[in-house]
Amino acid sequence: MNLLTKLILRRLAVSVLVLLVVSLLIFAATLLLPGDPARAILGQQATPERVAALTEQLGLDRPAWERYLSWLGGVLTGDLGYSAATQGPVAELLGGRVTASALLLVLTAVISTPVALALGTWAAVRRATRTDSALSGASLVLAALPEFVIGVLLVVLFATSVVRILPSVTIARPGEPVWARPEQLVLPVLTLALVVVPYVIRMTRATLSESLDAGFVEMARLKGLPERTVLFRHAVPHTIGPVAQVIALQLAWLAGGVVVVEFLFRYPGIGQALIDAVANRDVQVVQAITLIIAAFYVLVNLAADVAGILADPRIRHSGGMSA
Amino acid sequence: MMSPTATSFSRRRLLGGAAGLAAAAFLTGCGGPAAARDAGPPRRGGVLRVGVTGGGASDTLDPHSPATNPDIARTLSLYEPLLHWDDAYTLQPAVAEAVRPEPGARAWTATIRAGITFHDGRPVTPDDVVATFARITDPDDPKSGASQFGILDRVVVAGDRQVRFELTEPSPVFDQYLAEYSCGIVPADFDVSRPVGTGAFRFESFTAGQQSAFVRHDGYWRPGQPHLDRLELINFAEDDARINALLSGQVDAIDQVPLSLTEVVGSYESVRLLTSETGSWLPFTMRVDVAPFDDVRVRQALRLIAGRDEMLNQVLSGLGARAVDLYARYDPQYLAPQREQDLERARDLLSAAGRPNLALELVTSPIQAGTVEAAQVFATQARAAGVEIGLRRVDTSTFFSDQYLQWEFAQSFWNTRNYLPQASSSSMPDSPFNETHWEDAEYQAVVRRARSELDPAVRARLVRQAQQIEFDRGGYLIWGFPDRVDAHQAYVGGLVPNRTGLSLSGYEFRKAWVNA
Repeated sequence: MNLLTKLILRRLAVSVLVLLVVSLLIFAATLLLPGDPARAILGQQATPERVAALTEQLGLDRPAWERYLSWLGGVLTGDLGYSAATQGPVAELLGGRVTASALLLVLTAVISTPVALALGTWAAVRRATRTDSALSGASLVLAALPEFVIGVLLVVLFATSVVRILPSVTIARPGEPVWARPEQLVLPVLTLALVVVPYVIRMTRATLSESLDAGFVEMARLKGLPERTVLFRHAVPHTIGPVAQVIALQLAWLAGGVVVVEFLFRYPGIGQALIDAVANRDVQVVQAITLIIAAFYVLVNLAADVAGILADPRIRHSGGMSA
Repeated sequence: MMSPTATSFSRRRLLGGAAGLAAAAFLTGCGGPAAARDAGPPRRGGVLRVGVTGGGASDTLDPHSPATNPDIARTLSLYEPLLHWDDAYTLQPAVAEAVRPEPGARAWTATIRAGITFHDGRPVTPDDVVATFARITDPDDPKSGASQFGILDRVVVAGDRQVRFELTEPSPVFDQYLAEYSCGIVPADFDVSRPVGTGAFRFESFTAGQQSAFVRHDGYWRPGQPHLDRLELINFAEDDARINALLSGQVDAIDQVPLSLTEVVGSYESVRLLTSETGSWLPFTMRVDVAPFDDVRVRQALRLIAGRDEMLNQVLSGLGARAVDLYARYDPQYLAPQREQDLERARDLLSAAGRPNLALELVTSPIQAGTVEAAQVFATQARAAGVEIGLRRVDTSTFFSDQYLQWEFAQSFWNTRNYLPQASSSSMPDSPFNETHWEDAEYQAVVRRARSELDPAVRARLVRQAQQIEFDRGGYLIWGFPDRVDAHQAYVGGLVPNRTGLSLSGYEFRKAWVNA
């Protein structure tokens, strides 16, 4: 087995272990939520008899370790449990929502990644100029603003006050997928993109600037290569590892940050469902959503690690030699 | 490097939302239609899209267990009780054309309205009414209204269109219970998955936590209503999203504009505010069965500490009416009592009670707009009288957990009710929601007599006497009757102020029309 494969398999094993630990933490955290789920669901109209009946129905009277193993076994076989609030399978509740949130993330990633890379590269090439200052300043301001504020400002600008060309919230007819009205996706995606872009810009600029100062780039220039070739064939490949890391971190953050944006824009994704489930003490839904987000986080980081490994010529070459 | 994920929405949302909307106010002249289209006279047709606060995955179409605002809005659109509270909070006929007590008020007879039909075209029969109340009071699955029908012994068919309610004790105000929105009349074979009622709208679709769509009930008994072809009720968990939806034209009406934002929202030319005075009340609840609240001097001291006008202005932005520790402001017998803030006398009472340096924990939760803010203002006022109140803020699920009705010093929220039905719900030892655990023997005797007293003049005197006792010794500190403020597009008509405490004209969209 070569070094490359060994490194990747080790990362994979660590990822699985992390997910297992996370599942334990998630389960423990839901146990610690104050308040009785049965009472939360019944609201002000809870009576002892109804609470007892619902508790039994939800299996909340079984010991915690038994419930954990039962839940974990269910997850591994695709059964995410039973939603007390909807009185139906969790998978049924979340199916459309996972798709909707995934769409939001994919669109944000597809739009923000190339924009950020392009702007970061431009800032690096134009280092110490007015362009660089402007880009750095703008990304710093955007990085400092919470996503909620960015969202509200975009709504003011495009939906309610300055111009009214975009809808401010997502309203879908029953059974209608969120992409049926693409104009309703613009503001949520734009908000998330504006939150994510600054970090990638700054990392790209820093990493590329460092590359452009490195000896091997100087050597390329001395050989008389055109600046474009120097930039894209020598300097840029060097930035893949660190930039992949920051992109992964930003995408992973999106999985959590999407909660706020979905709330503000009434977007029917897992973020909204998570808030609703916590309020209802619908613990199996909370567990399912949190685990999905954690899995996404772990997978994205795994992908970033693999990208970093593949991009590192030292590992690639030594792997080849040891084969 | 990483932006922090929000762990709490309140402060951030307030700052972000208020800042955004303040910016909106500044920029409002730059956008919007040049002239807003008005509602004009009533007209037939069109769609009304309503943004409703709250709701979620636990939403229901059950007419007898509406728990959230969207549930209530659905219930009031699809179903109707025998009687109904109108905009002025007076009883009016609905499914029944008359409900009358028999001599002695131990039985009441309801006469079903001639010609009234369910959405499926079938006429309402006495069997349907009997089945409805059997469903509400089913001991295996009691519904929201079951607790107020403890005195209901039997419901029997009494004629082609008559139903007789036989009670275990006389009840001169039994008709008031029949008018609760959670007592909608349904067919004997009612199935919640195929919701059928007599309401102005009939069911088309429902997605929990998202929205419902209803269409006109062509056989509706009120002539000319509903005006609309179609009604869409859209859930909004978040205030800003709901307001933004209205301002961007995606909905035609929204309920519950936060009172601090009414001026901003009202500044849009295309928007109309709908302000309703209500009998809703926001109490602090003091458990009289535990120290220090078991001493009436402590309770009265805290009531004297409350600066009600300041709370009205700070918590409700002036949108409301002062309350002085009594509810049921629309009851004909309402005492309209007086009590001014008196910190000096409060301190004297506390000293006399042996508690000159009182320290308390107040449990607060956003169970209704203004509750948390009221707790903050009250704590500040208390400090001036030497009382230290620590706030313990919990989320609504925790508030209504098994600790609900056990909190020693907390808050609550009630909609409009007349005195005797409200006292039966919250101030008697057998009340389902006796938040203050009050067991005053004299008060109980007076209320019990009033509940079964047939002579209106005597009953009136008893109700006033009961109020006086509660004013002097009760565990409720009631500082305000909040107004309800909603908003709608200028082209929406028919929505009028409503005293029940329910939003948007009592969620009675049968009155509404759109000029679109």
